Amino acid sequence: MPAETDTLDPHATGGWGTYQITYQIFEGLVKEDLTKPNAATPPIVPGLATSWDISDDGLVYTFHLRQGVKFHDGTPFDAAAVKFNFDRFWNESSPDFYKKAKAFVIAYTKWIRSVDVIDPMTVKITLTAPNYQWLRQGLQSYGQPLMVSPASVKQFGNEGVALHPVGTGPFRFVQRDQGVKTVIERNDAYWGAKAKLDRVIFRPLQDPATRVNALENDEVQMITTPPWDEIERLTGEGFVLSTNNNAPYINYMHLNFKNPALQDVRVRKAINMAIDRAGITKEIMHGTGRPEGGMLSPGTDAYDPQFKGSAYDPEGAKKLLAEAGVKDLKLVFELPQYGTGELVETWIQRDLKKVGIDVELRKYEWVTYLGKWAGGMSPDVAMNEIGWGMSTPAWIGVVSRCDSAPPGGINSGYYCNPEVDKLLDQAIVTRDPAAAKDIYQKVNRIITDDAAFVPIDDDLEPILLSSKVKGFVNPPEDWFDLSTVSVE
Amino acid sequence: MGAFLARRLAGVIPVIFGVSIVIFMLIQLAPGDAATVLLGPQASEAAKIELRHTLGLDQPLVSQYVVWLARTLSGNFGTSIATQLPVATLVVPRFLNTLILTFGSLVLAVAIGYAIGLFAGLRSHSLFDRLSMSLALLAGSAPPFWLGLILVLLFAIQLRWLPVSGMQDMAGNGGWLDVLHHLVLPSVTTALGPAAIMARIVRSSVIEALGRSHVRVARAKGLSRATLIRRHVILNALPPIVTITGLQLGYLLGGALLTEVVFAWPGLGALLYDSITARDLPVIQATTLLIALAFVLANIAVDLINAALDPRLREA
Repeated sequence: MPAETDTLDPHATGGWGTYQITYQIFEGLVKEDLTKPNAATPPIVPGLATSWDISDDGLVYTFHLRQGVKFHDGTPFDAAAVKFNFDRFWNESSPDFYKKAKAFVIAYTKWIRSVDVIDPMTVKITLTAPNYQWLRQGLQSYGQPLMVSPASVKQFGNEGVALHPVGTGPFRFVQRDQGVKTVIERNDAYWGAKAKLDRVIFRPLQDPATRVNALENDEVQMITTPPWDEIERLTGEGFVLSTNNNAPYINYMHLNFKNPALQDVRVRKAINMAIDRAGITKEIMHGTGRPEGGMLSPGTDAYDPQFKGSAYDPEGAKKLLAEAGVKDLKLVFELPQYGTGELVETWIQRDLKKVGIDVELRKYEWVTYLGKWAGGMSPDVAMNEIGWGMSTPAWIGVVSRCDSAPPGGINSGYYCNPEVDKLLDQAIVTRDPAAAKDIYQKVNRIITDDAAFVPIDDDLEPILLSSKVKGFVNPPEDWFDLSTVSVE
Repeated sequence: MGAFLARRLAGVIPVIFGVSIVIFMLIQLAPGDAATVLLGPQASEAAKIELRHTLGLDQPLVSQYVVWLARTLSGNFGTSIATQLPVATLVVPRFLNTLILTFGSLVLAVAIGYAIGLFAGLRSHSLFDRLSMSLALLAGSAPPFWLGLILVLLFAIQLRWLPVSGMQDMAGNGGWLDVLHHLVLPSVTTALGPAAIMARIVRSSVIEALGRSHVRVARAKGLSRATLIRRHVILNALPPIVTITGLQLGYLLGGALLTEVVFAWPGLGALLYDSITARDLPVIQATTLLIALAFVLANIAVDLINAALDPRLREA
């Protein structure tokens, strides 16, 4: 892995890398099935609940829990355990409440009105308003409502879960040596199909060349985030490249609606038309990316692979700029500093220069950048960028709704179109997935017509494996299920 | 000698104190905050404000510093903001790992640098002298991260003699032999630069000592070459060599931090990097303090050795 993971408390962590470990240890009432490589979106399947009923008004979810499941420490899983977990990350009046967990699981818990135990194996959760993406929203990055052993939390305290992560999953936690390794081993008492590997060791290897060398020397059998320019050589030497066409991850730019130069939609459109996305994915990403024209993440059931967005048309961009009466345009582009260099950003800078827009790249170290991005752009800045997405189409609202503007939201460019908000409100209460899909796609078209963002490419989540590794599935998610993997 | 040592040790306190203030203030100057990193972009403003309050980050700077100082003086480094673990449990094992790498590199650098420097000095302007000094120039100018990768490509990937990364075989049971096996490439990488500098200094000190009048007198008295070199040349050449070795110790410590990233050696370097990117102030403070302390103590050790070699220095 390219970095050390965050704490292993699934309620109080947000990173994708961390979920690559916690997904193996913990489970929720429902889970995303990550064993289907070609699914458009990971199917939602029974986890610790065998089934669930949703009331006709969409407000009441009744979960029927799986019998005979035990946490890794032997604690039985039942309705009391479910209640304990909701108390921990949602119920502020409970003695078991953990503030940090609430801040993370908020996208899920803000919809909850009440949690009731009906009988030892049935739990009823009532929402404040219907939301047919609610189950899916609980399975995204930034706080997942997975089930943690109540006994372990009582023994080690809320902060202690980080070092004593006890769940019900196919692997159990063994050891963590901060910055060196995290070790998990097979849970032989697992209720479902048992894992094939005896143990898995996760190692943070920051330097990309070190990751490649460790793979070549058989010290590790799998690396994530391989350096783009090494992939071809390594596959030539027999290493296996795994990618997924539906990873819910878009690299895109926010355009700043508070910047005077970007008030004219023709200027925003010209920027979109000036960028050679196919060139970026071919020359820089060596085929591990795909040009993206819209703002719906792949990996969601609303994604339309046929949607094209702006075509690459530098001449058309020049014409639009001339029509808008824009000359000698100078724009500021804020971006985080990458260890690998800013190849994509300098490519974009060059493309915009060709249509007469001078772009100044302002680089910041990651933490500084994160604060600036989440805090919203100042009017002198024209654009910034991020790579993000979710397997729920509701994500498009997270970055584009009027009420998602900072502070408190992350619509970093302050785009606001009341029609978009109205449609998104409709989509969330639409039970029929096909009808909801139509609404999300309509939103995507409006946002594209407004040229509110500059989508660049979809990341195909390249992962390199030793040829000895069998059964690995690269799913449409940013983490994966290691229970199906074996090493020869 | 006791008074000399006491004077030197008393000087440590203001240095460490100064370092702690500078680091504390520098971190505050950097934009971005721990609450945003910890809670992620979807957290509400209220949640961030609450977390800052829980962590004490909303207190005035001076009181934050005083709280930190009082706690540290009582031997408690506090709790890491990012990992919620006690700072000492994070920093101390990493510090020991960095010391292992630094010490291993020092032994190698001294062995290589002194041996080459001595032979080159005794046979100045010979073919060996010219060749070794040219090589030293090359090795001394090569950045450790580049050198490390080249050594890995040769000895780990091509020849498969040595491991690429880490401090132990992750699947094995470890043990000292395993650590030594993993130590070879990173310590060679860190040692070569300082070894090259030591070789050049040893060489010139030896040449200078050889030219001194007392050496010529001793030679005229018919002293054997071995005794002459041992008693009159090496001993007189030592003080500048010891001083430069002490200075290189600081370089080795710094170089080890870079090498650690290339070899995934679990030392302070990676920890410092992670804690800076997470704005994990308690960890940054503890790490930099330990590095500063190690540097200052190493310099005192050099002063003591020099004072033992040359009584005149004890008066200074």
